[in-house]
Amino acid sequence: MSLLRQTALIAAKDLRVEVRGRYALGAVLPFAGTLLIAFGLSLGPGRTLLQETAPGLLWLAVLFASVLSFRQAYQSESEDGAIEGLLLAPVDRAAIFFGKAIAVVAALLVMEVVVVPMVAGLFGLSLGREPLTLAATFVLGTIGLGAVGSLFGVLTESPRAREAVFPLLVLPLATPVLVAGVKATSLAVGGRGGEAGSWLGLLVAFDLVFMAAGTLVFGFLLED
Amino acid sequence: MPVAAPAVVLSGVTRVFGVIPALVRADLRVERGDTLLIRGANGAGKSTLLRIIATAISPTYGSGTVLGMDLVARREEIRRRTELLGHRTRLYEDLSARENLRFTCSLYGLETRTLEDVLERVGLTEVAGERVRGYSQGMRQRVAVARALIRMPALLLLDEPYSGLDTEAKEVVDRAVLDAQRAGRTVILATHDLTRGGMATRTIFMDGGRILPQLPTPSQT
Amino acid sequence: MGSAERMMGKLTARRGERVLGWLTLAALATSAVMSLVIAPPDAEQRNAQRLMYIHVPSAWLAYLAFAVVFLSSIGYLRTKRTRWDRLAAASAEVGVLFTALAIALGSIWGKPIWGTWWTWDPRLTTTAILLLIYVGYLAVRKLPDSPARRARWSAVVGIVGFLDVPIVHLSVTWWRSLHQGPTVRLLGESTIAPAMLAALLVGVGAFTLLYLYLVTLRLRVGRLEDRVLAEALSPRVGQSPESLLAEAGEVVGGG
Repeated sequence: MSLLRQTALIAAKDLRVEVRGRYALGAVLPFAGTLLIAFGLSLGPGRTLLQETAPGLLWLAVLFASVLSFRQAYQSESEDGAIEGLLLAPVDRAAIFFGKAIAVVAALLVMEVVVVPMVAGLFGLSLGREPLTLAATFVLGTIGLGAVGSLFGVLTESPRAREAVFPLLVLPLATPVLVAGVKATSLAVGGRGGEAGSWLGLLVAFDLVFMAAGTLVFGFLLED
Repeated sequence: MPVAAPAVVLSGVTRVFGVIPALVRADLRVERGDTLLIRGANGAGKSTLLRIIATAISPTYGSGTVLGMDLVARREEIRRRTELLGHRTRLYEDLSARENLRFTCSLYGLETRTLEDVLERVGLTEVAGERVRGYSQGMRQRVAVARALIRMPALLLLDEPYSGLDTEAKEVVDRAVLDAQRAGRTVILATHDLTRGGMATRTIFMDGGRILPQLPTPSQT
Repeated sequence: MGSAERMMGKLTARRGERVLGWLTLAALATSAVMSLVIAPPDAEQRNAQRLMYIHVPSAWLAYLAFAVVFLSSIGYLRTKRTRWDRLAAASAEVGVLFTALAIALGSIWGKPIWGTWWTWDPRLTTTAILLLIYVGYLAVRKLPDSPARRARWSAVVGIVGFLDVPIVHLSVTWWRSLHQGPTVRLLGESTIAPAMLAALLVGVGAFTLLYLYLVTLRLRVGRLEDRVLAEALSPRVGQSPESLLAEAGEVVGGG
């Protein structure tokens, strides 16, 4: 079976689990919403400050949402030790890495479709000026978070990792996504999407590096 | 006439977790078609032994082959031909039994046409469409047995398959072992349940991580 | 290996270590003299600038140490020999100290120049993130109970973390360049006086020796730890500690 088919298989399984369990919509989305409202309350109600900080707050919410989502995605693997089933199956390690990443990235993108307009409304951002740049930013950034989360999510098999170590790893490593994502988003809502080119390029570079690295080392995290 | 390699050969296999030796200097030889029964109390090392044979974990010291293939070097190939029914059922709680089994079939490249027959054989046809989360231990184990039956591997490993099961479910497990035997497969069954294991062709005992020395039985000479 | 040879090996290792220790001390002393006495004070920053002589070497070592973590992590994953894991762990533990030191010194140096403790200078910010990655690496080492798994997991963090650092640096540098912050760079634009350059280079050399010495110490502790583990394991497994250490390619206590 080709790598592509294997990846699709695992992604499909993860998406099915996700839809059944309703974790993304049921827990992560409300969390992101609550977080953003909390941000609004702590920084507002002055319009200007909220507008300026909105891209940053938005990406922080996305970052935290990705940590939660991956923790949940790997939870389904450790409940009954299903991950051992994947380990023992004749499945390419890269397929597991990409399959899980695709499923969570898809869920996050769906969430972003809800949250971004919500933030635009709450914090006064204009989404219509550079919609393509905006979309590209979120897609590329979420893919980057997907690569980091899918790789290190394996560690959450250890209960202690689930609590603190996983977020501790993801946040510093994902710094370029945060920085580039926020900057590109600011430019896009400000109507200066043309200047976001280098930031988008940075996101692409990050994505490629982490996808390549993840493919190579994922197996080592899985084996015992 | 060429003779197939023995199902399992282990030489001095030791597995350690930190400072705790779970398996110590295991030497074992299992011929093809044998049904080996491993007896021993909890913590005797039965699980560790089975998991090493299944290549779920690797030995700390020592070496071995499964179906003629090296434990460490040819793990992937061993995995294709071995199934481990372990402590954990390895199911996705939010999927149904049918979905879990379909997923396994896809992973192993197996056809699903025998799926319904197997579900019938383990007595799960009625509940196969419901989420595993609501299953009892007995039902979960039946799904694991179904998985083994669909795969019908060359080497079937069962680690305490009877724990927490009612008599009917235990019968399902036994039927699967018999099916495998009839199909000429090699079976290794580990259990401390003394009422089970009658279909074994050979028995070994384990204690404190070691396989206790055996006296040759008539079937081995 | 005969017992006489083994004893010689231990002796020279300890002697080598001691020689390295004295060399380090001498180098540090020389560096101190050159930085504090021989080098002239900076025209603008006066004596505060002398912090450069320990800040820059610390920062250099912070990154060098992580490069060593990166290379030994790769070495471990490819060969599965414990010595690589031991080196990675040792370098990480020493490296985190140098990183924290570099950040602290950078902040202290910056206070009189910029007026604040922190201005998000790109290099310092990247170093701060490096510190967090180090901490993550060390935290991952605490997770598994099997030494082989610990080695494997931390190797992955070491490799991925190192690959991330340049990207982080790039992103932070671009981010910072958008702001017209304090234009006075710590190292200044003016050409550096020869005495200052010499002091700086000696400082870098001295700190590198310090790094090597500390790593050597930590490696010795690592070997002792493995030895203790082998000896604890020996009676339970019925093999001598030496054969345990030798047999599994020095991987003790885990598949």
